[in-house]
Amino acid sequence: MKPRIRIDLMLKCLVFSALVIPCLLGQTPAPPLTDQDAQAVKIFADGVQQYMTVQKNVEASLRPLKPTNDPVRISEYEHALARKLAEARRGAKQGDIFTRQVTRYFLRVIRSEFLGPEAPLARKTIRQDDPAIVFHRLEVNDVYPENLPLTNMPPTLLSKLPPLPQNLTYRIVGHDLTLKDSKSGLIVDLIPNAIP
Amino acid sequence: MLATRRAAIFSVVTLAAFTLSFPAQELTLPLKADSVRFAVIGDMGTGDKPQYETAAKMIEYRQKFPYEFVITVGDNIYDGNAPSDYESKFALPYKPLLDAGIKFYATLGNHDKPNQRFYKPFNMNGQQYYTYKKGNVRFFALDTNYMTPEQLVWLEKELQNAGSDWLICYFHHALYSSAGFHGSATELRLVLEPLFVKYGVQAVFSGHDHVYERVKPQKGIQYFTEGASGSLRAGNLKKTALTAVGYDRDQSFMLVEVAGDELHYQTISRTGQTVDAGIVLRVPAAPQSK
Repeated sequence: MKPRIRIDLMLKCLVFSALVIPCLLGQTPAPPLTDQDAQAVKIFADGVQQYMTVQKNVEASLRPLKPTNDPVRISEYEHALARKLAEARRGAKQGDIFTRQVTRYFLRVIRSEFLGPEAPLARKTIRQDDPAIVFHRLEVNDVYPENLPLTNMPPTLLSKLPPLPQNLTYRIVGHDLTLKDSKSGLIVDLIPNAIP
Repeated sequence: MLATRRAAIFSVVTLAAFTLSFPAQELTLPLKADSVRFAVIGDMGTGDKPQYETAAKMIEYRQKFPYEFVITVGDNIYDGNAPSDYESKFALPYKPLLDAGIKFYATLGNHDKPNQRFYKPFNMNGQQYYTYKKGNVRFFALDTNYMTPEQLVWLEKELQNAGSDWLICYFHHALYSSAGFHGSATELRLVLEPLFVKYGVQAVFSGHDHVYERVKPQKGIQYFTEGASGSLRAGNLKKTALTAVGYDRDQSFMLVEVAGDELHYQTISRTGQTVDAGIVLRVPAAPQSK
């Protein structure tokens, strides 16, 4: 089946979560998307869509991963997927998905979270998980290091960022925001120094 | 509307708690007929001797308290996810339980790789978050590493449809913790607790901080942290006004029995000392003011 991200649905989800989740938290909802924001979200969704097409094609070339008693099978699948994805995206570079316009939009959202009234909570959330983490700078097509714990993503930030398809996640590593394929561990793209 | 009917049917009262007053190896759980019996472990996957010793004590206690399954509150496998890690940090220490057909229902911690959800012995069926029912208890295993709006919508829908069962949520990050290393996950609490209160969740189990702590009931919910079933931060618990009972001197695990409107718990150290025990009683919630 061809993976499709419904861009209109993504925009609706974004508006819904940006309005509803902050209300649940007693926070000010994010301002409505401007035309420029909507355009940035659309460019981002298109980039994600292109990646997901590659990802699905590569996955289709592998025996599907189903729940198994054999950790060797999980490990082999993960490594094969990462290797084939990296091959299929050999020319991929930082900024392919987080284009300049998309980055501007993301930075505004992230900075409103980390410099605004909710900043102490968001900072506590990301620090909670890795007070002792040595900063790693990852690059596009790197595989997320085995021994590096995941930083807890602030739920309020997740509610304000464009939603992602299954198996693609936002992850904060040091000060960078990365787009990570959770099945392969591959870093798909990143915004360096996104977290102020 | 179902959601309205479901909301706040029950609250909890922690009826009794006994601390350090039981001789080693004594079981405090009632072993009632048709009760739901399970063990709770968290932050266990070190592969070190204390994990094996704690696992051995769990196995020993199963002779007296035949629990049917184990829930894990994450950090199932530390420092690498090679096949040998699955073996030495999970399959081997819990082998007698796995061989006896005891199921483990896992959640993922910040040290766990997402693909652990495909490891059949964790019973996650490839999902990051899921729900299942045992007897009169509905369990919700959540992914607090990545609490998306989609997961919150899913949780609310499942809580709405949960009927009159006991509602127990478990996940990695403790919403209330007096430990010094991580402490309370305040932002997650702001997102999750309103749903727990609205739909009458009675008990919550978490880990992340490598201690045992039972906090005083908060908003009608009994919270437990059991993050010391392998890894331990000795002396890290800074007892606060939240703390009902805490233990950070040794590894530990919990045994839980739900019988009717009572949830009995017993927390046992690596050496077999009972460090906490008591009953959470489910009582009808006070009517909400309009």
